[in-house]
Amino acid sequence: MDTGGTNEQVAIEVKGIKKNYGHLQALRGVDLKVYKGEILALIGDNGAGKSTLAKIICGAIQKTEGDLFFWGQKTEVQSINHAHKIGVFTVYQDLSLAPDLPVSDNLFLGREIMRTGILGRMGVLDRKAMRAESKKALASLGIGLKSISVDTRALSGGERQALAVAKAVTWANTALIMDEPTAALGARQSSIVYDTIRAASARGLAVLVISHDIPKMVSFADRIVVLRHGQIVASLEAKKTTLQEVLNYMLGGKGESKNE
Amino acid sequence: MSDQIQGEAVEKLKNGENGVQPAAGHLSSIEQKDLTPIQMVLRSTAFWILVILVVLVAIFGYLTPNNVFLKPGTLFTVGLNASQMLILAVGATIQLASKNMDLSVGTNLILTSTLAAKILKMVAGTPEQIMAGSYPNLGMAIVAAVAASIVFGGLFGMINGLIVTKLKMEAFIATLATMMVYWGISLVITQGASEVGIPRALQLGFGHKKLLDLIPLPLVVALIISGIMWLMMRYTKFGLYTCAIGSSKESSERSGINTDLYVVSIFVLVGVLAGIAGFFDLARFATTNPQGHQTDGLLAITAAVMGGTSLKGGRASIPGAMLGALIPTIIQTGLVIMSVGAFYQMIATGVFLVIAVYLDQKRYASLLD
Repeated sequence: MDTGGTNEQVAIEVKGIKKNYGHLQALRGVDLKVYKGEILALIGDNGAGKSTLAKIICGAIQKTEGDLFFWGQKTEVQSINHAHKIGVFTVYQDLSLAPDLPVSDNLFLGREIMRTGILGRMGVLDRKAMRAESKKALASLGIGLKSISVDTRALSGGERQALAVAKAVTWANTALIMDEPTAALGARQSSIVYDTIRAASARGLAVLVISHDIPKMVSFADRIVVLRHGQIVASLEAKKTTLQEVLNYMLGGKGESKNE
Repeated sequence: MSDQIQGEAVEKLKNGENGVQPAAGHLSSIEQKDLTPIQMVLRSTAFWILVILVVLVAIFGYLTPNNVFLKPGTLFTVGLNASQMLILAVGATIQLASKNMDLSVGTNLILTSTLAAKILKMVAGTPEQIMAGSYPNLGMAIVAAVAASIVFGGLFGMINGLIVTKLKMEAFIATLATMMVYWGISLVITQGASEVGIPRALQLGFGHKKLLDLIPLPLVVALIISGIMWLMMRYTKFGLYTCAIGSSKESSERSGINTDLYVVSIFVLVGVLAGIAGFFDLARFATTNPQGHQTDGLLAITAAVMGGTSLKGGRASIPGAMLGALIPTIIQTGLVIMSVGAFYQMIATGVFLVIAVYLDQKRYASLLD
């Protein structure tokens, strides 16, 4: 995707985003920039609006007010599909894979490789190419599966999550959004997912991570943004902050003055 | 634009430009040996259904007088009798793969064949000409009847699909309701009577036509349609999306698939198949049958499930469903030839259904170990 212009480093910009569910204000005017190659951790208590914000950016729900910019261009994200076209992909808390499909079908689901010529026009898939590309994609992310044709159901929880991340990384070229990517994983499997996230940012993707694992985020992310009651109460450089400071903002010890 | 991005991404993959270092630790690799072809065959439900079929045919061949059951003529008659169910079972399989079902195909068939019969007679000639048994516009009329079967079948399927997707109803309830509606409409239109005055040419040219004096034409057409559906499910995007939606609708949506569109399309396709089966009915019997077929939807699901397609969605075995569709007909034909009451067929089919599903569940559980 072409970048260019003055905003070439800003992958996602969110301006004055509000979201109401009836009388409930989930987001009350959020401004946020996520830079190319940056890992931004979105922290907040339950109900702070983290997931709502992520869902608006990835097209799963519509904002009530405000503007979204991708690479400096104002965009109304109409659907998940639309977000995909912009290059924004999401890895979900509960997995985004179809368990009955083989690994390669899952990796390519929604963006299949078709056969060339008339067969392709009749909707015939090029499964051979899909398998070959899947092998390469997984190998390049350090995900070792013995067989690419095995049903996704047969993988371990960590393998499935790694595959879900790999799917998003493979197709994203603007941003990767993750909602609790390691919630269900053990330490060893989590570390592989974190390696994959690092790899995604090294590729130049903006990475937005929602996580309750705040100590990990302080050491892992580039920047920590704290949401509270639907507003951003702090944007901290991870290297210069401490767990205590983040928790204070999150629980309202310091951010109080910024709330109405 | 999406194509462009996809192209770029594929290009990046090819060039290894992910800029990603392989992680140090490998995941615990799954213990999945590649199966030999023989193991794969032994694991498929379709294979075991085939074994059951062969055993059934052998038993009936042995028991029937003069081994008449084994004569090609008898076997092809079985095929002819099963040809409609073949098409419906293939439709049910596609439907189950997407974790939906269509109970209304049987009454869709009745209504469609009724409407096709009306249109056929309307186009063929004046009521007086038809009473006299002459059909001046026969060719045109048959074309119109075929088109009507396909269009109406698809339309009634689409209504099912729209109720399921737009009114967000379980397919079971939605199609239970339309099953009654479609049947009710056919009864209202026909007053419960079969359609008379259908040209015999339809039977001679298609319904009773035999290729090489042996192979019933409807069976050939049914096999061709089933074959196309099998290829479609196995090799195309449509087949992949059908299974993906059945396996996890949410994941499919998150992957950018317009699931409602595909679910409605599947209902339309299954409706078209029911419409085609309706035309088969018309062509074989030169009449409509408003009092039969109501339970065809359930029998089609029975055949699909016996053939190894689960109600859990995500998987389809079209060859299994084709074999499953033959079992009730084989039992019925065999019992009739042996002069045993044909009603035993239902008992036997029910027992087979339980056994088939039990074996399938065991197999499924062993896959997860």
